[in-house]
Amino acid sequence: MKSCKVKKGQAIIACRKACKANGTGLSHYILMDRKAK
Amino acid sequence: MKPTLSAPEAAPSRGRFLNSGNGPHLEPIDIGHDAYMALIEPDTAFWSLVRKDALADTLANPSFRAAVAKKHGAFAKEMQALRFGLKPSAVYFNPTERCNLNCRYCYIPEKMRKNGRHMSQVRMFEALERLKLYFKTTMPKGRLPQVVFHGAEPMLNREALFAAIERYGNDFRFGVQTNATLLDDSALAFLTEHGVGIGLSLDAPSPSIANKTRRSWSGEGVFEAVETAMRKLKGYPGFNVICTVTNSNLKHLVALVDFFHAHEVPACMLNIVRCTLPGARVIKPDDSTAAEAYLAALDRSHELYKSTGRKLVVANFANVLVSILAPTARRLMCDISPCGGGRCFFALAPDGGLYPCSEFIGLPEFRGGNLFKDNIADVLQTPAFTKVTGRKVEDIEPCNKCTIRHFCGSPCPAEAHEMNGDMRRTGAFCEFYEEQVRYAFRLIADGLADDYLWDGWDKDATTTFEWGM
Repeated sequence: MKSCKVKKGQAIIACRKACKANGTGLSHYILMDRKAK
Repeated sequence: MKPTLSAPEAAPSRGRFLNSGNGPHLEPIDIGHDAYMALIEPDTAFWSLVRKDALADTLANPSFRAAVAKKHGAFAKEMQALRFGLKPSAVYFNPTERCNLNCRYCYIPEKMRKNGRHMSQVRMFEALERLKLYFKTTMPKGRLPQVVFHGAEPMLNREALFAAIERYGNDFRFGVQTNATLLDDSALAFLTEHGVGIGLSLDAPSPSIANKTRRSWSGEGVFEAVETAMRKLKGYPGFNVICTVTNSNLKHLVALVDFFHAHEVPACMLNIVRCTLPGARVIKPDDSTAAEAYLAALDRSHELYKSTGRKLVVANFANVLVSILAPTARRLMCDISPCGGGRCFFALAPDGGLYPCSEFIGLPEFRGGNLFKDNIADVLQTPAFTKVTGRKVEDIEPCNKCTIRHFCGSPCPAEAHEMNGDMRRTGAFCEFYEEQVRYAFRLIADGLADDYLWDGWDKDATTTFEWGM
């Protein structure tokens, strides 16, 4: 799925998504959705 | 009793116009794109990209104004929850004070790293029991809290560390951030078999540059050890490499991206050096020069993706991009204010000391209590923590007037406090963040944002705004 659909030359591009916030990480360690196992 | 009304309720304006009364407040910024500029509502982080030749019509477009106004309350609520409503779900766990390296920018005091103590296995188990109980009160059902073993060098305390991972594998998601010097085959086998996330550190694609910043106490570099670990970890999905950007490696970031990609590193971070301690300030790169080099590295990551079909996600940039596209989907919490320190995560020192973030270990003023003696929930309310959790862009000059304040977050409080003397100051860099955000908007304008993001980043997200074509 495209994060924000953009058509060439369109006058206004604006989109936003939302989900349950669960950000936890700080810049020392990468916390991604990737499962290690 | 006098009635208490919110500011918009008190003002009788119907909000019929942009930028007056209760109307949506959209500020234009130049994103450096040929065709588009951005219109941003700073407080709600709402953004739109408007074709330059359609700007006047857009500002006077009643349908657009109404659509933005309709979502204002929901977006404001979303940002409020993201900024002030989260509870801790991770701990940065330092199982030892010691390190076998003496990296130039380390924020842990030298004395500690040289002569410090390990946490015993008994203490480690006790700590994890206490953390388990605490996280039961904060974690939503079905999600495990994260424990990231961090340093100093956690692998120096390998026996206790592995015993803890073995014993508490069903209670936490574990990760370890390591300098790779102690990752022998049996350690790698253990960590990968147990599904532990592994973060390595490397600052350049060649020993002559990499070893300038990351080296042992006797001055020997560790490039080869890291490269060996990278080769062995090829194909392991929970593996990443962090590069600290300094004036020593600035010119080599593009080559570093090539190097990471060739080693099939799935994700990396190109973190600008934190200038919390004086030693790091000596190798601080110039703000705008760092931005230029960083964006060149991002360009290169995209070229490689296009030519090979395989992504090297630069996670700290991807996080900024996500913070624009879906503020609540962000993973890293440095570039939002208040930052995640002390509210989304906290740090545990080997003696039980609790700090808002690892960056504060070594600064006694920010020690909020002791895990073995104090209640964690109480510690989060101590001044040591609230000084950090209360630091917000609205109180910082010039961030309080900055349109992109919720895509940058004015990092980092430790740096602001130690380097610039006050929590209400910025950290060491500004243009570096400005340019990242502008770059991110250019990608969105060109329809390229997904190329820079990890696959499935929005699998749990729903669309809350989409302007018709």
